[in-house]
Amino acid sequence: MEKIRVVIVDDSPFSITLLSDMLTESGFEVVGEASSLEETVEVVGKMRPDIVTMDMTMPGTDGFECTRAVHLIDPNIHVIIVSSMMDDEIVGKAKKLHVSGYIQKPADKEELSLLINRIMADEELYKELEEIYYPVFKEGFLNTFNRMTKTIPEFGEESQSNTEQVSRGVSVVMGIIGKYSGRLLFDMSYETADKLSNEVLKRSPKNSQEMINMIGELSNIIAGNSCSVMNKKNKLFGFRVAPPTIFHGSSLTISKAELESMAAAAVETKFGEIYMSIGFQRRSGEWMSNI
Amino acid sequence: MDVKHINPFLDSVVNVMPQLGISDIKKGKLTIKDKTINSPGVLINVGIVGDLRGNVIYGTTIESAKGIASTMMMGMPVNELDEMAQSAISELTNMLTANACMGFSEQNINIDISTPTLMYGDFTATASSDKVLCVELKINDLPFEINIAIDRVS
Repeated sequence: MEKIRVVIVDDSPFSITLLSDMLTESGFEVVGEASSLEETVEVVGKMRPDIVTMDMTMPGTDGFECTRAVHLIDPNIHVIIVSSMMDDEIVGKAKKLHVSGYIQKPADKEELSLLINRIMADEELYKELEEIYYPVFKEGFLNTFNRMTKTIPEFGEESQSNTEQVSRGVSVVMGIIGKYSGRLLFDMSYETADKLSNEVLKRSPKNSQEMINMIGELSNIIAGNSCSVMNKKNKLFGFRVAPPTIFHGSSLTISKAELESMAAAAVETKFGEIYMSIGFQRRSGEWMSNI
Repeated sequence: MDVKHINPFLDSVVNVMPQLGISDIKKGKLTIKDKTINSPGVLINVGIVGDLRGNVIYGTTIESAKGIASTMMMGMPVNELDEMAQSAISELTNMLTANACMGFSEQNINIDISTPTLMYGDFTATASSDKVLCVELKINDLPFEINIAIDRVS
């Protein structure tokens, strides 16, 4: 495995030496150091490290300003604050700036190493999620349709666009919660919902309530099966599905999803078009610290 | 459905709203609805899993959503329920539900919440529970309701 690359930002040469030794002994590669905002921008821009350790107090700047500068260069670089200062206000502000973790000085070698390894393991897991979730949910959709309606729907091209959507009439929303937080959404016309429930029930739904329940149940099966597959692929995901809420009406707009990663497709089924959108994000509570 | 599930949500309103500049909170009626929730204009769905399972569906009118968003953005005028305003309202419901989670954990009930989904227009929502508890509130004199559709996992 490649070594994890670290840049140290600190205004004290003593601290830099101490941290650099600790990191090297723990098997990380220190690829640069900086002690001002300008140097931070230059070194991080050139070296593109995995991790930046960030001091809070520096002449003419502070750890927050430097963190923002690092994330402007690349939002995927993980910043760990290493500072003697530590109170609720600083931690709160650091979380808002998407800092990945916090260590109080004097830093402990084991603690620092554990924190970096946990952050990088999490990064790997998130990458795995991004790679597999769309194919898994697509498969879940196809399997469920095949089993329940003996038809083979055709998926349109996958789109990553995340914009406001005008509903076709019936929208099923399901929260997915585990290591990451996500949402599955199906959208279809009343006509499609009606035809689909006719097929599954082998008769006309008694009323619109029964039709809505049927669509909810079908969505629930797709979500449940897909999440089981995800959890089997990696049990760290630990996904569970919240039951569906179904929104329906003549005028319904679905806002842009607040998700980091999402994939959507229009699916041609025998019963009409169904739009599927699935996405995930890291959880805001995902804050690594050993304190 | 359990009346004990209401208090963490009421507490979260009292805890969270003032931090966002909304200090005038009046409790209104508490009603029990069936599965159907008529949208007052805007509904925001937050999923719940854990010891309890279901959804919390926050409701408000488009006008009051704009008012609440404006207050949250330090009084910036909000003329349309645009992306920024939608994001502010979604964030509010996220904070309210996350805070309620902490309230539940004090009762030894552990739950996790999903990302909010905001819908607006003229529509109806069908909840996952047969009975939905609805708490009506007035915040800065604007209508805001919390529909609680959660059940204990047996």
